[in-house]
Amino acid sequence: MDACAAVEKEVERVIGKFSGISEHSANVTTDLIKTFEDLKEAIGENGQEHLTEKQKDLLLETINQTNMKLVAISTEHRDLHGAVSKVGKVVDRNFVSDFSAFTRTSQNEENTHLLNKVMAKHYFRQGMDDIATLLIKECNMPEDQANEVFESKSNFAEIYNIWKSILNYNLMPALKWADQYSEELELKSSSLQFKLHRLAFLQILSEGMEYQSDAILYARQNFSKFIGRFEKEIQNLMGTFLYLPSGIRNSPYKDLISNEMWTEASYVFLKDACNILGISKNSALSVIVNAGCTALPSLLNIKQVMLSRQVHGIWSDRDELPIEIELDPEYRYHSIFACPILRQQTTDDNPPKKLTCGHVISNDALHKLSNGSNVLKCPYCPVEQHSEDAVRISF
Amino acid sequence: MELKSLEHSTLKVPYEILNKKFRTAQKNLDREVNQIQYSTKEVEKALKNPVVDVSEIQKLLGGVVERLQVLKRKANESISDELAASYICKRKLQHLQEIASADNSEAAVDQWKRIRMDRMVIEHFLRMGYYEAAEKLASKTDIRELTNLDIFQTSRDVEEDLAEHKTTKCILWCTDNKSKLRKINSNIEFQLRVQEFIELIRSNQRPEAVKYSRKYLTAFKEQMSEISEVMALLAYPVNTTIEKYKSLFNESRWNDLVLSFRNENYRLFQLSNQSLLSVAVQAGLSALKTPQCYSANSKNMNCPVCQDDFNKIAANLPYSHCAQSRLICRITGLPLNEHNLPMMLPNGQIFGQLAIPKISKENGVVVCPITNTKFTHPKIEKVFVM
Repeated sequence: MDACAAVEKEVERVIGKFSGISEHSANVTTDLIKTFEDLKEAIGENGQEHLTEKQKDLLLETINQTNMKLVAISTEHRDLHGAVSKVGKVVDRNFVSDFSAFTRTSQNEENTHLLNKVMAKHYFRQGMDDIATLLIKECNMPEDQANEVFESKSNFAEIYNIWKSILNYNLMPALKWADQYSEELELKSSSLQFKLHRLAFLQILSEGMEYQSDAILYARQNFSKFIGRFEKEIQNLMGTFLYLPSGIRNSPYKDLISNEMWTEASYVFLKDACNILGISKNSALSVIVNAGCTALPSLLNIKQVMLSRQVHGIWSDRDELPIEIELDPEYRYHSIFACPILRQQTTDDNPPKKLTCGHVISNDALHKLSNGSNVLKCPYCPVEQHSEDAVRISF
Repeated sequence: MELKSLEHSTLKVPYEILNKKFRTAQKNLDREVNQIQYSTKEVEKALKNPVVDVSEIQKLLGGVVERLQVLKRKANESISDELAASYICKRKLQHLQEIASADNSEAAVDQWKRIRMDRMVIEHFLRMGYYEAAEKLASKTDIRELTNLDIFQTSRDVEEDLAEHKTTKCILWCTDNKSKLRKINSNIEFQLRVQEFIELIRSNQRPEAVKYSRKYLTAFKEQMSEISEVMALLAYPVNTTIEKYKSLFNESRWNDLVLSFRNENYRLFQLSNQSLLSVAVQAGLSALKTPQCYSANSKNMNCPVCQDDFNKIAANLPYSHCAQSRLICRITGLPLNEHNLPMMLPNGQIFGQLAIPKISKENGVVVCPITNTKFTHPKIEKVFVM
């Protein structure tokens, strides 16, 4: 079963039981309070000074019952312990708590400083200067490093703030930005402007019937230039007028006012704006962290295999990760040539070489193939050649 | 899969809180039930007399009612606490599950990952003791309910107390978590008691120190050798030069206490001793690290590992593994493949076919952008990469 679902099932059970016992204990105590208050009244009802034997027996009996009921509540609560601790067990069973095998133990001070610096840069880049400043203060960052953070200013902060305001349902800054860059946006055939105007239109519409004419006016002013590219979408938007009296929320167009529309628009803004300004939408830190989050599960997996074969320390004494990590092509920044013969990455000491026939193999493979003599046959086409004729190349 | 590997603490910490709330609730219930039983016993005792006054019983019954009301209130409070803790677990679960339902929307995944990043940074800040930054970031990004700020809030109070050379809050914390600390075999309480004892000597209150040691140190029978060592302090002046005793008087022991408290707190919640952020950074650097990142003429400024700070952090980490060639043209950034054949200039530099027109000038001059060498009518050869 899916890890989260397994835990959720147990949490739901606990919530159910707590709600049950909450109600039950409230009922029992309320009843008991009433019983004792009634008794207190009743024993003095006839104006007598002393209790009768019958009253004594009744009291003793009630006390006895009360004690039993109270102990029952306490026991009932104690019995929930099983359900509560089950949650912890299911969390432990379904989630991994130990990553010690992945880290180099030498977490030295310099790396801590460097990590603080890149975190400060990350938040400074997003225009969250206050976070960066607090961090610098709390970690006692040396002044020269702090200055480096403040010099790293990029124009991403503006983009980030506009992105945030879209997520807070404020379109004004984004519309203004899109207006300023409308030529560039059109050149890239970006859908941003249309998506922003669409949201603005729907925002007016959701104010209610009395804003109908405002909405029509907005549509006429802003949608005409999109008619070529977004005809179908505009038809849909105009269709919403049909359902305005009964509310769009209950209409076939309800998807148009869902929250996803805002997330989507904010993302398109982030992507297109960064593209136009030629900056990355992710900071270096977030690229690395996301790559790490992709890599960790596979590394955990391989760890288990390696432990079962008694191979220790994935990081410690190797130059290379034991497995290839699949990342999005956009996060590949360098050409890597893996020798097709030796299945090894080439390095400065073992560079790629082009044979006379045009095939590329690594220097080590070249030497292995020529086997002491300096004549070899290309493994891909049977051209015989001298190993000195191979040319060192760079990608 | 990523959730399974990375989110243990996101769920385990609220569970531990829930578990603790449960124990407190049980204690409260038992205590109140006992109180009621005590007051009903009083009634029973009074009833045993041969003659029983109505007014006396009425008074006693009034007492029972009062106790019952206390129980009702306490039970209600305790169970609400438990429910609140359960709902926190649930809220976190729901957030984790959002990523699964967002699978087809690039925008939603992107946003979820941004939140994850902030969550990880907050956790890292807290572990490092950067409480204000953590607090601010959580409130600014509006993800407080997804973090473990609350448990760290307690530890912040304790740490500040320790930093002022006070043990009150930390001792309180020890009592609060007594059974758990015993389970994980912690000796933090012993360390605190020893420090208190040392402080008494430092302020020249030796008789009080002896009293203190009798009262608190005798409970730790396993640490006899350490105890006799500190007891020896009674005989030495505060400014002693004997290394062993000098170090016991050292004020830096308070900083050690802060660190060992922090460590015990992680162990209590089964948090690993490194933050997820630093682990992820190391894994991510390795996944991106290539030999080119360390060769002066093949750096790519878009590559995070090529940037100065990360370059240094990654210095000791393993390179990424690559069994299949993955070639990118350094001019256009496009992949080299059958649509963009790799071409070699006479100096051995390879670029994509599509990039050749960009580096060709008139009169058949081609300039290599890497070495700045000019070639006139060069022979540009195709290479074959398998």
